Amino acid sequence: MRILGLMLGAALLALVGCDKASGGGGPTASGKQITVAMMPKSKGNAYFIACKKGADEAAKELGVKLIWDGPTDPDPAGQNAIVDGWITRGVDVIAVAVENREGMSSVLKKARAKGIKVVTWDADTTADAREVFVNQATPDGIAKTLVDHAARLLGGKGEYAIITASLTAGNMVEWQKAIDKYNKEKFPDLKMVALRPCDDKQKQAFDEANNILNAHKTCKLLMAICSPAMPGAAEAVEQSGRTDVKVIGLGLPNDNKVFVKKGITEAVVLWKTADLGYLAVQAAVAVHKGTLKAGDKTFSGGRLQNLEFQGDNLLLGIPFTFDKTNIDGFDF
Amino acid sequence: MLAQALPHTDQPPWVRKVLLSHEGVLAVLLVAETVVFSFLGRNFWGAQNSGEMVRLSAEIGLLALAMTPVIVTGGIDLSVGSLMGLSAVLFGKLWRDAHLPIAVAALATLGIGALCGLLNATLITRLRIPPLIVTLGSFSLFRGLAEGITSATDNFTNFPERFLFLGQGYFFGGVPAQGPIFLAAAVAFWLLLHRTAVGRSLYAIGFSAEGARHAGIPVERRLGLVYLLSGLTASLAAIVYVSHNGQAKADAGTGYELRAITAVVLGGTSIFGGRGRILGTLLGLWAIVVLQQGLLLSDGPAELAGILVGVLLIVAIAANRLLRKGE
Repeated sequence: MRILGLMLGAALLALVGCDKASGGGGPTASGKQITVAMMPKSKGNAYFIACKKGADEAAKELGVKLIWDGPTDPDPAGQNAIVDGWITRGVDVIAVAVENREGMSSVLKKARAKGIKVVTWDADTTADAREVFVNQATPDGIAKTLVDHAARLLGGKGEYAIITASLTAGNMVEWQKAIDKYNKEKFPDLKMVALRPCDDKQKQAFDEANNILNAHKTCKLLMAICSPAMPGAAEAVEQSGRTDVKVIGLGLPNDNKVFVKKGITEAVVLWKTADLGYLAVQAAVAVHKGTLKAGDKTFSGGRLQNLEFQGDNLLLGIPFTFDKTNIDGFDF
Repeated sequence: MLAQALPHTDQPPWVRKVLLSHEGVLAVLLVAETVVFSFLGRNFWGAQNSGEMVRLSAEIGLLALAMTPVIVTGGIDLSVGSLMGLSAVLFGKLWRDAHLPIAVAALATLGIGALCGLLNATLITRLRIPPLIVTLGSFSLFRGLAEGITSATDNFTNFPERFLFLGQGYFFGGVPAQGPIFLAAAVAFWLLLHRTAVGRSLYAIGFSAEGARHAGIPVERRLGLVYLLSGLTASLAAIVYVSHNGQAKADAGTGYELRAITAVVLGGTSIFGGRGRILGTLLGLWAIVVLQQGLLLSDGPAELAGILVGVLLIVAIAANRLLRKGE
């Protein structure tokens, strides 16, 4: 019971201390350094580490304090707890790559209710829980880049096959439809002859690629639109000994470096991750200052100029292509 | 306050006694942490953060409260984190797919939690399998079921606002809604363990189950009760968790069992049974939570929390041993 008395004393002291810190979560007074709290889906992922480089660069340019924290593994509850902490700590703006769309929504709304600005990047939450979403790639942008590469490699006509992650996943279906649409509009002589799912597994992509090579002898290009499928498809092409078949797709530079150097994989399409991190911080600070609002038509921040919007999505622009001329400069 | 409380010889004996008790050591540690982070952390010192820390610790705190009597009997329940996952998923299923009213779904989930606890208890008492092995099995079983039911991908969301209040709302503008739940659970477990004959019998079982049996204590029924309560509390923690995060997924509560056990052991409960107090568990819990939140608010790396909790545990237990030696 005496210990309880001791604790009560401590609790009383804590209460006395309340006045000092009241109104804790609000934005800092003008003139003070802006604090940007930025969260990746997981801290260990090489992709997000590459994004952080750009975020650090933008924070330095703008003279803002950047807090970078997130769960070690993708974990919605972990993201929640950290955002809750940031609300208590009192940051000016929060930028999150959201692991779970609905799971993050309420805590981000709580942050906004406390006067903290919220932007999302890489992956979005519900629209009412943030100001803008920094969108690294639209289906149209991805489709255009991939089909243009295909047309260039095949000389504007010929057959190609797509290996996708699944025939039902939302983003995969969107991309595939956009590819189909742009293809038919721009290159009528270019023909997709097969569309196969690989369940996001490299081994299955390898098997599917083999099947396609056997079934469609005139198919000269494999387009892999999920990241495990690229090295899987390239492996299959290498083992088949077919030097006339090329691989392109969406993937990470490190997964595909060897195949790019061997001349099997011609183009690895993604975005510049550093630019994504850079833009997320630029947008976060602009939203805090009020110079960027949902409904704007263009945005310029630092070295990224005249970027466009699609609704309340700020677009990073057309995707970037890693090929044998530049792939050694990237490590993720 | 700290300076006054230092053990001088001219102080009344109770001050010495309190400071030399395990709870006393923890209380001093807790005050020290609080002082340090009040300087290092932004907005650490204040009512808002106190409320946030209650919210942050509610789920693990509930597990730790129920774990205390389990460990007092010399047992362990490794399945509680997994049971949170299973409870969360079943709660989501009952509400979304079976269209039960949310309160009914919550009550049914509590029932399922109690049943799962009873399953552990039955295996431990009827088949005489050690609790470590039984609950290691159900640890895997419950999580596996949760993942199987949802194919590990289904995620229940869009719960009604009314329900989300439980995990996200405030009373009187600052008291987190889960605060009263946690307080009620703490009082209930305190009464059970320290103010009832059942509670006293748990200590007897912890010292020697055979001896307790000879003394006429219904050991099987008492053990059944503590594991049932552990399961029930785990599903309560799951409901709070779902409300707090706004989603129910199979991964709910992953690793929470070890965090709860850490709080209990840090609180001075002997892992061999027979000794331990609810107050100690609460102090152990808060020592960990203050450390984690303090590091977050002082922009320290989250990884450091893991290291410091480990150091804290070893230092507190070592201090306890040394002080006891002196007695």
